[in-house]
Amino acid sequence: MRFTQRELGKGMRLHLCETDKFKSLTCKVFIRQDLQAKNATSTALLPLLLRRGSQKFPSTLHIARELEDLYAAEFGVDILKIGEQQILELYMQMVDPSLVPQGERLLERGLKAFWEICTQPQGPSDRFMDSYFEQEKSTLEQELKGLVNDKNSYALARFVALMCANEPFGIYKSGDLENLRQLENRDVYGHYQTLLAKHPIDIFCVGPNLDEVARLFTSLIPSHDHTIELELPQTIQVTEERFFEETMNFNQAVLVMGYRTNCSYRDKDYYALLVGNGVLGGFAHSKLFMNVREKASLAYSVGSHIEGSKGLLTITAGISDDQQEKALAIIGEQVSACQAGQISADELEQTKRGLISAMTSLHDSPTGIIDRNLIGVVEGEMRTIDQVVDAIRRVEYDDCVRVMEKIQLDTTYILRPGDSQNTIDEKGSNHGEN
Amino acid sequence: MERTNTPTGETLYRKDLPNGLTCFILPKPQFLRTYGVLSTHYGSLDSRFRAPGGGVVDVPSGIAHFLEHKLFEEEGGNVFGRFAAWGASVNAFTSYTQTSYLFSTTENWEDCLIQLMEFVNAPYLTTENVEKEKGIIVQELQMYADHPDHRIHTLLLENMYHEHPVRLDIGGTVDSVQAITVEDLFRCYNTFYQPGNMALAVVGDVDPERTLQLIEENYPIWGQGQGAIERFYPAEPPKVKDPWVEEERPISQPRYLLGFKHEPKWQGEDLLRQQIIMSLGMRLLAGRSSLSYGDLYEANLITDSFGASFNAEPGYAYSVIGSETRDPDALHARLTTIIDGLKTGNVSSSDVERLKRQLYGAHLASYESFEYTANRLISHHFRGTPYHNYVDLLQGVTPAEVQEALAEHLDWDHSTISILRPVKTDD
Repeated sequence: MRFTQRELGKGMRLHLCETDKFKSLTCKVFIRQDLQAKNATSTALLPLLLRRGSQKFPSTLHIARELEDLYAAEFGVDILKIGEQQILELYMQMVDPSLVPQGERLLERGLKAFWEICTQPQGPSDRFMDSYFEQEKSTLEQELKGLVNDKNSYALARFVALMCANEPFGIYKSGDLENLRQLENRDVYGHYQTLLAKHPIDIFCVGPNLDEVARLFTSLIPSHDHTIELELPQTIQVTEERFFEETMNFNQAVLVMGYRTNCSYRDKDYYALLVGNGVLGGFAHSKLFMNVREKASLAYSVGSHIEGSKGLLTITAGISDDQQEKALAIIGEQVSACQAGQISADELEQTKRGLISAMTSLHDSPTGIIDRNLIGVVEGEMRTIDQVVDAIRRVEYDDCVRVMEKIQLDTTYILRPGDSQNTIDEKGSNHGEN
Repeated sequence: MERTNTPTGETLYRKDLPNGLTCFILPKPQFLRTYGVLSTHYGSLDSRFRAPGGGVVDVPSGIAHFLEHKLFEEEGGNVFGRFAAWGASVNAFTSYTQTSYLFSTTENWEDCLIQLMEFVNAPYLTTENVEKEKGIIVQELQMYADHPDHRIHTLLLENMYHEHPVRLDIGGTVDSVQAITVEDLFRCYNTFYQPGNMALAVVGDVDPERTLQLIEENYPIWGQGQGAIERFYPAEPPKVKDPWVEEERPISQPRYLLGFKHEPKWQGEDLLRQQIIMSLGMRLLAGRSSLSYGDLYEANLITDSFGASFNAEPGYAYSVIGSETRDPDALHARLTTIIDGLKTGNVSSSDVERLKRQLYGAHLASYESFEYTANRLISHHFRGTPYHNYVDLLQGVTPAEVQEALAEHLDWDHSTISILRPVKTDD
């Protein structure tokens, strides 16, 4: 399951993984840029606008009917955030053409439709169709306001905005309402043209018959003259621990704790950090799950995860409101235990095996095979699954303790049940910090 | 072993063991992961029943889900560690009609399978550990209750059904969970976890003969009686309980959900055919390629969340159509016109043929998911619907059948509406 690379011009690469293992062809196009508030919001409009229609398929209905005719092909456009880069993802999956009647014509038809819909939006030559633009601006407005509908996502978004208020990482992946109001159709269109022409683009394909797929992409894509260099995330030192509390009209409290790990994908200790996090809260055998949920019955959900590009460790828990102090104390004890080296041989071994199994399992899914490479693309160093498995296998107890000793608590955030009037204000940036 | 070919050219093996357990094995060459799931035909709906040789029993709601939590526990700890030792993950879920325990692994799949069969067959229930679990389950119920999609769905079913337990949350209520005793849990366990009421599926790069042998040699012996289980459901009037309910929630914009209740009159192949016909019908009504989707979106009355689905089991049947919307009342008015038009108008053959192509492609693609495939095999087995006939049944559907089914199903006398509105603020 290795990718072979082909250059399609300056800053544009095609990554091909030829296999007959799956019943499908999967392609993902990643277009990257530095996270900046104005461009983030502009880029977040693109998924909404592109699905409205292209020159050849002028409405959602035309696109949907083409996908149905292609035996349930799927197209999608999404926004991702890795470290301090925002990524526009264009996605296509279709059933292996050899499995359906008259399949030989399907591949070309599918790829052409995909690229046309992604790059030739409906509208005049210098902008999106005005009615689509205005409507999708309000759709994005509703999406941004709608963050409150899922209290876990809302709590996480608020936490990141508060903890990293002065860093690009604090920018939400879909931007913000203030920038949204100021966006003009021509500017967003111009931004998209710049993304296509000048930003780094990586196209990943997994499936059969990829020589033909590569030939089709080469014929569809104009030559690329990339000039924009992207930044890697800033490292920030913790100066003091911060605590934020907000309220919303819900039953259950959400607790989020953010640690600076002083370690990222670029560091030798990165895989020790993944193991340390796994011991702490990555699995059902981890300290957080065993102690917060199983022993103390304080939470249904509790766990921790690593953002590998920025180097953050985040703990989340859904807890009963009156158990806040007890939960904080028990969670703190688990982190201290890891730092004090209270990690058993079983915990270490189970965690390494769990991580290796999760990594190996990615071989079984086309999107898994593609997505795990994204951090490597952002960081400028792709690693094979074998390299990663080997690196995890080599992590020793001492590495794990050393890396956990370096993690520092920066911000604790709690979203508590209570009066929700403050938190549904539409600016989304001036919630009270009690 | 019985063999059938899947539409993707794979071979599915099935065998019913002498102890009553049904086994499905789907080999997947080249894949590294193995997925195994052991399920009982027992879900949240089964709270009144007669065990083999016993009297009729009533138990508090939420027991199937409670057992799902407790079976992971063993004396001195839980089973997670044993799976973790192989780098495997283990989990479970409960629905209205079944409870499933599963593992996924890239190493030691044979050990995982043996462990799965063992822990599901070894309940460790004490007054103390049952009481402790109540705290975790109440947290879980509250987590779901806070979710607007979950809330509006619950609200709709509560007002669609007078008596049928489909109106209750799968996990039960805070009160019913508090009322559950060790005795209740054992009574349900001993009735529903007999091998004759269970099925096992394994998907991965496995040898079917060897897998079957492993199951036969290691499936624990059921020490208690086995026999037919009688399940009782309250008589349910055909009409809905309440045609319109609203509630305020801390959400950004209103949500609207329309439901149609149907008499559950289908069994076996008829039920599967009806599910296929209605999948096509629901796509005609609210799919991305429908005229209504485009019109309502242009009118700013729906969002991307707009959709419709039909849910049917031998004991209940209903459809739901809904969306986030800026104006639930205007959306309802427009949908009324659209639905009445679809009931009386001609369902076009070209639309139906195109959607059949889509369902066929989606069916082929679905075999790529181990989880979906294994769970689907088991749920169709419990439901008594012949899943292997899916493609033939799909090909046989005519536009006239879709038209007729929609006209019958979309009956306003059996409809109910739920609306969530944002909490009003004083400013």
